[in-house]
Amino acid sequence: MHNSISKRSRALIRRETISAYLFLLPSLIFFIGFVIVPMFMCLGASFFNYTMTDFEFIGLGNYVEMFQDSIFIKAFVNTVVIVVVAVPAVTVFSLWVGAAIYPMHAVSRSFFRCVFYLPVVTGTVAVAVVWKWMFNKYTGLFNYVLDGAGVIDQNISWLGDEKTALWCIILILFTTSIGQPIVLYVAALGNVDASLVEASKVDGATNLQTFWKIKWPSIMPTTLYILVITTINSFQCYALIQLLTSGGPNHSTDTIMYYIYYQAFKLNRYGYGNAMGVFLAIVIALFSIIQFRLTKAGNVD
Amino acid sequence: MKKLIATLLVGVMSLSLIACGAEKETKVEETKDETLQTEETQETSESTEAVEADITLWTYPIGKFADAETVNGFIATFNEKNPGINVSVEYLDYTSGDDQVTAAIEAGTTPDIIMEGPERLVSNWGAKGKMVDLSDLWDAEAMEDIALTSKAIVTACQSPDGVFYEYPLCMTTHCMAINYEMFEAADALQYINEDRTWTTENFEKAMQALKDNGVETTGVVYCGGQGGDQGTRALASNLYSAKFTNEAHNEWTMNQEAGVKGLQKLVDLSNAGLLSYDAGAVASDELQLFANGTIAMSFCWNASNEAQYASSVAFTPYAVAFPSEDGTPELCGGIWGFGIFDNGDDVKVQAAKKFIEFIADDEVQGPLSVQSTGFFPVRASYGNVYTGTADEARMSVYAEFMKYLSDYYNVAPGWAEQRTAWWNLLQQIFGGEDVQTATDNYVKISNEATLAASNS
Repeated sequence: MHNSISKRSRALIRRETISAYLFLLPSLIFFIGFVIVPMFMCLGASFFNYTMTDFEFIGLGNYVEMFQDSIFIKAFVNTVVIVVVAVPAVTVFSLWVGAAIYPMHAVSRSFFRCVFYLPVVTGTVAVAVVWKWMFNKYTGLFNYVLDGAGVIDQNISWLGDEKTALWCIILILFTTSIGQPIVLYVAALGNVDASLVEASKVDGATNLQTFWKIKWPSIMPTTLYILVITTINSFQCYALIQLLTSGGPNHSTDTIMYYIYYQAFKLNRYGYGNAMGVFLAIVIALFSIIQFRLTKAGNVD
Repeated sequence: MKKLIATLLVGVMSLSLIACGAEKETKVEETKDETLQTEETQETSESTEAVEADITLWTYPIGKFADAETVNGFIATFNEKNPGINVSVEYLDYTSGDDQVTAAIEAGTTPDIIMEGPERLVSNWGAKGKMVDLSDLWDAEAMEDIALTSKAIVTACQSPDGVFYEYPLCMTTHCMAINYEMFEAADALQYINEDRTWTTENFEKAMQALKDNGVETTGVVYCGGQGGDQGTRALASNLYSAKFTNEAHNEWTMNQEAGVKGLQKLVDLSNAGLLSYDAGAVASDELQLFANGTIAMSFCWNASNEAQYASSVAFTPYAVAFPSEDGTPELCGGIWGFGIFDNGDDVKVQAAKKFIEFIADDEVQGPLSVQSTGFFPVRASYGNVYTGTADEARMSVYAEFMKYLSDYYNVAPGWAEQRTAWWNLLQQIFGGEDVQTATDNYVKISNEATLAASNS
């Protein structure tokens, strides 16, 4: 009797498992076809001198060249600067805004969520054009305001000056990156167990203590997700560079993604571009692992 | 469970059978097609009227060749004579057009015909073996007619080993423009000759006059990207009559005395506050500033730009040549025409050639095609295609500049790398780097790219 139940339940589990896999199959086919296979093709092509006319095996030649390429090194440094500045800034600011608007009335909360989410749903080209107008050396809003306030006596070419261009890119990236984290933090804060918060208040905890001891650990999975997604997006910063600076002035805004595009599409050096793509994927994976480890260490069950 | 697996297996087998069947059918059809194509090719050689094919044209925004209504009108006229050839068009832009073509080449989905200049058709895609030899379009009559306008056009449309990858339609010389009223108010028109040329010395005097008259920004040397870089190249090279390449177009020469002197002059003018530079702007930004009346001159001007901005400016844009030491400019040319991608289909190639011949050579359509570009015909026999049109007076000004057409060095191998190196060079010298050192580096990068492209 017991045996037959066990057999039946095993059959049911197997049937459910097969059904689940069948449901997954269409997505899996697309995932394998458009993600996994291109990844391996990219890896394979990175060992070739692959251009519009050549396809010759060169082993690690592209990788060796990559680390001797001063522009690639500069692009890598710029990319790391963007990540190191943008990711913490986006995370902290989003958490602050999320915490500030979460207790508000539903209407006000929705209003602020919409305001901060607007740059996310606005097309990158439209966002870039508006920022370009504001940064314009001759007719831009920034120079107009700063000049009017007496802060500057000579117009600044914000996107054309090595000292300011990368920071302008980071600022735009920041504004387009905070929308989703804010929405996620508001949702995550709404899911924090209210009884725990009330208990801590009864025990005499301050607001800060309640936040750090109760809320922060509860929203840690959301923080991890935001960190990983923002890191990946920052590493892959390309469209803003393409639309605003083309990597200039003097390579000061070159990022790895833009340099991959330049090598692959402008110079038709697909193999070299692929090698840089593989390197970028490895770096992103490493950063993500570190973030997983750090946030896991700080997590409280 | 067994039923499920059996059903799946049957499904997979059925799909395989269908796929195999489809493949066989395709092959049969392909074989039929091949037979037909062979027959058609033979027929084509016997009678040029019998070509039937669906072909695609990709065109960059060259005047009204960016306008679907105009192009569809041309195709409709073409189809009156060639009803069997269907032409579908895709309109490219200069921001993403090259990327689209690159992706198409790698995916094997290139169009049959593409419309652009020799720097792409000849020295890039042609040199990489992607284009069809168009020597048969270049018959003796065409060769003679086009050479009468300029031998540089004939040279530009062929590879160093003499293969023609482009059949040209139109051309122009790029020039600069001034805000007439601003110059008049500053009494700076005196520095421009009647024939719209001027010397480097007078150019500097005009800058000073504008500045003295309260013009905050006279002109902007834009160097935020490659867009419109022909303007900054022409400005820098003309100041002291420098050459960008040697005659064979296989060596870059701007690091020689005249080139460095011209670049140094631009830096000096900038340092003196007589000229501005902006590493955050490209030609379109500069043109907008000019159109707004924010700056007094544009370094990226031609007949087409004047037509485009004519209705939106509140001043008189006055086309002038680039200043040079002796007052005789050497203007960069622009040549536009057609190339055919080698898609391995002779019938389509024949159809594409018929279309090109119609658009460029037909005695009625040819001049109309040129008119639609807003430029000048490469065929001398077309004469003034703007006679009797509303554009006649405007175009006659630009026609006068044609005699200053200089060497078309845009066909130098490694052109793409050189373009990036150029605006980076401008950014470096305006950023304070030594002009000679930076220009040497630019020449080194460009020469390496040219050598690599020549050897590939």
